[in-house]
Amino acid sequence: MSDDRRASPSPAHVRALRLGHGANCSSVGSVIDTLFVSAAIGGAVFAAVCAAMKDEPVRVVGEEADEPPPSEEDR
Amino acid sequence: MIVRYEPWGAWVKLEREPALVALDRAGVRALGLEGGRTWTAPPRPSPPLEVHLAVTSRCAAGCEGCYLDARPDGVDPPRETLEAALDALARAGVFTVAFGGGEPTLREDLGELAHAARRRGITPVVTTSGLGLNASRREALRAFAQVNVSYDGASEAYEAVRGFDGASHAEAAIHALAEAGIAVGVNVVLVRGTFDRLAATLRRARELGAREAQLLRYKPAGRARGLDYLARRLSAAQVARLPAVLRAVSAEHEGALRIRIDCALVPFLSSDEELASRPEDLARWGVFGCEAGAALGAARVDGRLAPCSFAEPSAAKVEDLGRAWRDDRALAPFREYVERPPEPCASCTLSAVCRGGCKVVSAHLSPRTGGFAPDPECPRVRAHAAREEA
Repeated sequence: MSDDRRASPSPAHVRALRLGHGANCSSVGSVIDTLFVSAAIGGAVFAAVCAAMKDEPVRVVGEEADEPPPSEEDR
Repeated sequence: MIVRYEPWGAWVKLEREPALVALDRAGVRALGLEGGRTWTAPPRPSPPLEVHLAVTSRCAAGCEGCYLDARPDGVDPPRETLEAALDALARAGVFTVAFGGGEPTLREDLGELAHAARRRGITPVVTTSGLGLNASRREALRAFAQVNVSYDGASEAYEAVRGFDGASHAEAAIHALAEAGIAVGVNVVLVRGTFDRLAATLRRARELGAREAQLLRYKPAGRARGLDYLARRLSAAQVARLPAVLRAVSAEHEGALRIRIDCALVPFLSSDEELASRPEDLARWGVFGCEAGAALGAARVDGRLAPCSFAEPSAAKVEDLGRAWRDDRALAPFREYVERPPEPCASCTLSAVCRGGCKVVSAHLSPRTGGFAPDPECPRVRAHAAREEA
């Protein structure tokens, strides 16, 4: 896919954001300190993550991984 | 970045600055992507995002509360078996594999297994006790995106959780990993005897170079199923104080030590009026409650799949993850229960995030329910039960 078709999604389209990796092998962990930051800081984090999505190369995994990319007509 | 389509949009895994983002369909389309069959076919259970893979049941530490009852004479699955498991995870679209055990660093091929995960596009992370972490084992950990060391505090606190004082070894491991430039975090199990020392424990972990601390609820599994579980678990008063403690440690370590809580601690947030009033913020910041059998899966050392590391495994094998996650009748109840939880969960504002609390605790304390009952240690559930009895 050419990058000129890609835009940064709006933070309004982010349903959930989980930061970092976590590395516990027994239960799933969630960052909690972000719940206590100001709205301005939180908004900046979401905006930065959305901006980053425009630039990284894309690889699709899971059931759709082997499907051909959609044609222009399918869009 | 890695994209996995979901009926509602897609999970997107960013790699440069690690993050997992749930984007709705419009957000996915903004990236020039379209969800294909996943958006048009009837929805099916999604594969897990994260799988906990036991790579050995060997461990010489003998922690009193070991959830897998790992022992020095445990077994190591053959490398080929674990690589077949990684193949299945990759086919299903799993993002992260957390190697555990037993003590994973006892495997000579641990670093190679991490590379095997990376070759398949899966991010490997690992938990270790840090005991016996010599230079060559430490170098093997460089292949992991993050290493968490089990660290419950300085000597007495460590001993209170694990039954022996291994704190100096854990501290040396944290320091050595950080000095080597390996991303290191700590796992801190919260028990009654050490809860009040949490602030000191986190300060020490940060001094040693940890960049993240994951707080864990003590769970009645493996050797922790004994009678002393009731004496070791957090008291009701400590549970009530937890949200305030989280605020305090988050403020103290802002930007220096990331604070995580595990899925089983999420119900304990329900006693906090401020947090309970904004469940949409918890959801948006990706707080996961009980994701057993949903976003989280586990594979035991014999390859059997389980909803999480603490829950009983099914007969299905991890090599068959894609089919089993959709069809296995031992896994489905974990997803189905959270769709229609009973009171007091049904009317709880945090219900969609918490997902009914820890089923392993429920199963232990209310065996007749099989775990599919409100978490009896949740403060809201306790209050509800007290009202019912009155």
